Amino acid sequence: MSFLDVSGAEKSFGSAMVLGGVDLGVAQGEFVSLLGPSGCGKTTLLRIVAGLLAVDRGTVTLDGEDITARPPHKRDVGVVFQNYALFPHLTVAENVAFGLKAKRRGAAETREAVKRFLDLVHLADFADRSVRALSGGQQQRVAVARALAVRPKLLLLDEPFSALDRKLRETMQIELRRLLRELGTTSVFVTHDQDEALTMSDRIAVMNRGAIEQLDRPEAIYRRPATAFALGFVGLSSRLSGRVIGTEGGLATVETAFGRLVAPGSFVAGAPVLLAVRPERIKVDPPGGYAFTARLRDAVFQGSKVQLHFETTEPDQLMVETTDLPDGVPAPGSEMKLGWAVADTLLYPAP
Amino acid sequence: MTALERTARLVMWFAALVTVVFLMTPLVVTVAASFGSSSVFSLPPPDWSMRWYQRLATTRGLWPALFVSLEVAAFSTAVALAIGTLCAIALVRGRFPGREAIATFLVSPLMLPGLVVGIAMLQGFKVAGLREAYSSLLIAHVVITLPYIVRTVLASLSLFDFSLIDAARTLGCSYPSALLKVMVPALGPAFLTSGMFAFLASMDNYPISIFFTDGWTKTLPIQMLQYVEENPDPTIAAISSGLVLLAILTLVVGDRLVGLRKLADF
Amino acid sequence: MKGWRDPVALLAIPAIAYLLLLYALPLLWLLMKSFIGPGGLTLKPYIDFFADPFNWRVVWNTLVVALWVTLVCLIVGYPAAFALARAGVALQIAMLVAIILPLSVGVVVKAFAWQIVLRRDGVVSQFLVAVGVWDEPQRLLFTQAGLVLGAANIFLPFMILPIYSVVKLIDPRLTEAGATLGATPLYRFLRIVLPLTLPGVVSGIAFVFSMAVSMYVIPSLLIGDRFQTLSTLTGRSFLFMRNEQLGSTTAVVLLVLAVSVVVGSSWLARRLGARA
Repeated sequence: MSFLDVSGAEKSFGSAMVLGGVDLGVAQGEFVSLLGPSGCGKTTLLRIVAGLLAVDRGTVTLDGEDITARPPHKRDVGVVFQNYALFPHLTVAENVAFGLKAKRRGAAETREAVKRFLDLVHLADFADRSVRALSGGQQQRVAVARALAVRPKLLLLDEPFSALDRKLRETMQIELRRLLRELGTTSVFVTHDQDEALTMSDRIAVMNRGAIEQLDRPEAIYRRPATAFALGFVGLSSRLSGRVIGTEGGLATVETAFGRLVAPGSFVAGAPVLLAVRPERIKVDPPGGYAFTARLRDAVFQGSKVQLHFETTEPDQLMVETTDLPDGVPAPGSEMKLGWAVADTLLYPAP
Repeated sequence: MTALERTARLVMWFAALVTVVFLMTPLVVTVAASFGSSSVFSLPPPDWSMRWYQRLATTRGLWPALFVSLEVAAFSTAVALAIGTLCAIALVRGRFPGREAIATFLVSPLMLPGLVVGIAMLQGFKVAGLREAYSSLLIAHVVITLPYIVRTVLASLSLFDFSLIDAARTLGCSYPSALLKVMVPALGPAFLTSGMFAFLASMDNYPISIFFTDGWTKTLPIQMLQYVEENPDPTIAAISSGLVLLAILTLVVGDRLVGLRKLADF
Repeated sequence: MKGWRDPVALLAIPAIAYLLLLYALPLLWLLMKSFIGPGGLTLKPYIDFFADPFNWRVVWNTLVVALWVTLVCLIVGYPAAFALARAGVALQIAMLVAIILPLSVGVVVKAFAWQIVLRRDGVVSQFLVAVGVWDEPQRLLFTQAGLVLGAANIFLPFMILPIYSVVKLIDPRLTEAGATLGATPLYRFLRIVLPLTLPGVVSGIAFVFSMAVSMYVIPSLLIGDRFQTLSTLTGRSFLFMRNEQLGSTTAVVLLVLAVSVVVGSSWLARRLGARA
């Protein structure tokens, strides 16, 4: 059993089912992200683990103990809220000390912990300031210090960086990750930003409509997305709709607008499918015969690479990312030869 | 939910129940008493009758007093709305020192004993040579209505986005025109709520008005208290019920225009 | 200083001038006049006033009643304000109507209504007998308890509304954060909710206490001449006894009391605001 184990979690609000039987296992010291669009249930799942919401069915187990029925103040689960939820009537130091005082740790122990954690987030000089005078990034760091000061078994973070500008966000991501690794704190992080999830996580749970579609390491999710949704939500892709002609030896032949293509997978003949490949896996002018021709619609120069967009019929999308253009960026309208390795092809039932 | 939380919830709902019953009881009792047939108040009344309402038409001094109250209230509310709003603008936009003290000063009549204020004003007016009751009432009641206006309009103005006035000016309005077209509508609810409470406070006022009466000029509360002292019978209950009806109508109108919850931000 | 030449400041002049001339000046003059006797500056009226034990009783009456009224309003009003903030639409409307309607009706109507309610055969008496608190119906009219009850009824909205306006601003995430930090529900209330409601509580107490100290119509109708407060004594002195000297003295004592409450609560509110 994992350090955090959510089993069969179901939650409905009225007639709307927000979570439909979710299972999640997180190992001790691991950093797992819940990634998905708004409404997918990630925040609901987080609040259930925190004890702020009761689950209709299912269990939550932490460090071997069943905490499903326990109120939040007895769970030893820390939360960093999206709007920080700092206590406006207390100073920075008093905010950080709050949990320790609530648990009646001694004055000396509290003082030391407050100092230690304010140092860790580089806010030692702000100890006696009112929290209302702080910037967004500073408030965020106080929220993190406050949650960690009581050394919870599990730390939950609900889109903590969404209110910060990009540069600050990137800095905070690195700092937070370093801090959590140093402390060895098990963490679950909710976000809708796939870059954030890819950067920070040991594993990512891609969520959609109340279910976890894939729970795996970032590279695995990127290279082998388990569903069409995961494919679309994480990273860019070229997508062609098609129909399966036949399957043999674990490879399916698919009829697409650009001819017959082969992909790993097993489908019944005649099945409508979605064939996809990551844009950087497509080669221009590939060697060998497994290739087709497409007309260039747009070329977007991005400095280190070029994005080539090709003419397709809806809902197909054909784009290539390449650094290898010996003759320079071609003009729109040019016909180009494209191809890629069969092993890089992804195949899904048509959504 | 722990037992403590459950108890806390119970206390809360119990307090809500007590509040509603406690606050509504006097009004319900009054209306009920006004329909009693006997001239002694008893509840429940032995017989229902409308005779006290019929008496209203012939009750001496009632209608003149009502009109005096209405006129004084209307006048003082209007004046307070005008000078109070201007002052609130100054307090929110101005950069001069002592703004907080000035705001407290303007609201202070609410908190000070009306009787003392009335005495002071009576003696002050006498020194200034003003002895006429009606004009004294008009002047004195502005002191009653002004705090309500300033308090609410000030709060509302501090939330107002003044860049909207700049936007209006870049679109061709002069400064006063922009104020009229942009700020006045935004302050509508504040004007309505504070105006309503100010009007009612003036209608209801006794401690200041008592010093400015004569044989012909009496405000409604003074007249009513006279009835209570001279011949207490359910006619007074009938008058009160009339006022309750008026209050209900005001509340309904206020809710339609602004919403009950906004009214609570008095 | 630039501030003095700020044209916007001019807009404040009509209101300030009006109050200064017609309100502040007369009050100050009343205050000053009370120190001037036939032979010049004198404290004699005040010495006479405080020498008479009857007057001490009057001051005591005023303060005790005001304290009781404030206490009753606080005990009922504090949880009621929370109920109002958390209630569903139906209950909220019921409470708001119950709070605002009596405010709109006026003191005279309500005080008169309480006269009816507090009689021996009145509603309160019948209720208390039915519930078993009393053995037989008693008269509450012309008693201190009746006065406190009637006054609390009239001033309760002024305690509920300021507290309510503060309670509804409290971010629910704050108590959630407290829970995730290990605080029990009681600790969360005492250390998070209560401190944040304090400005509203101070406001409510200031309003109710000062109104209760100043009230005139209510004690006139509900308790009669045996029990005098500073306000009723002042009124009687001017209107019935024609003793302007005594009236002015009591008026000033009452004024000083009320002003202290206003200034004190304003200072307290500022201190709380600065700390938060």
